[in-house]
Amino acid sequence: MSRIGREPLGFWLEPDPVIEAYKKDVDRTLIRENLKLTPDQRLRKLQSFMKFIHEIRGSARRRP
Amino acid sequence: MTDFDRLLRVLADSHTEFILVGGVAAAAHGSARATYDIDIVYARTRENVERLVSALRPLEPYLRGAPPGLPFSWESGTILRGLNFTLTTGAGDIDLLGEITGGGTYDDLVADTEVIEVFGVKCFCLSLERLIAVKRAAGRPKDLETIAELEAIAEERKLV
Repeated sequence: MSRIGREPLGFWLEPDPVIEAYKKDVDRTLIRENLKLTPDQRLRKLQSFMKFIHEIRGSARRRP
Repeated sequence: MTDFDRLLRVLADSHTEFILVGGVAAAAHGSARATYDIDIVYARTRENVERLVSALRPLEPYLRGAPPGLPFSWESGTILRGLNFTLTTGAGDIDLLGEITGGGTYDDLVADTEVIEVFGVKCFCLSLERLIAVKRAAGRPKDLETIAELEAIAEERKLV
């Protein structure tokens, strides 16, 4: 990815205790795997996953 | 099912000025969360709105969730008289946003974008830092898990 415009915001928001609590449940193994991919690969993976979900839902609806 | 590939190609091929935001932008940054539509912030100049309208016309956009038969005219005047539109199209669901809470307009956001190449096209994607800031500013309870994940991505990328 290439950045346009100004430099990174240059600040970071103060930690929010509520968000910090939610952060404990984030699966970082999934994030680390995704960060090995390019943005293109990440979106192709998302598209593939959504296609799978769509097919599963269609299959469930077709069941008698 | 939303065809991210097709929608992004249609927009890019028409030279519409837009910024990818929301769940697809989060996925581009590394989010593992599913998303069902594309959210874009579009530039509200007349020329750009005309490009946007022409690009999406073959996909027959219609107001998502509106009762069938509700009059809806897909033309630039409609977009210019409104601001944010949640649409369903022949390629799936897309949200056209003239402005986002905590972020503002295309002009307000464009300096905090990154150029990404996805599905063979280049487009502007809101930066991870700004995406987090926007979602925090919006203050919606439903975004809390998303913000937590985005901040975790920033930590993993050593942005903080």
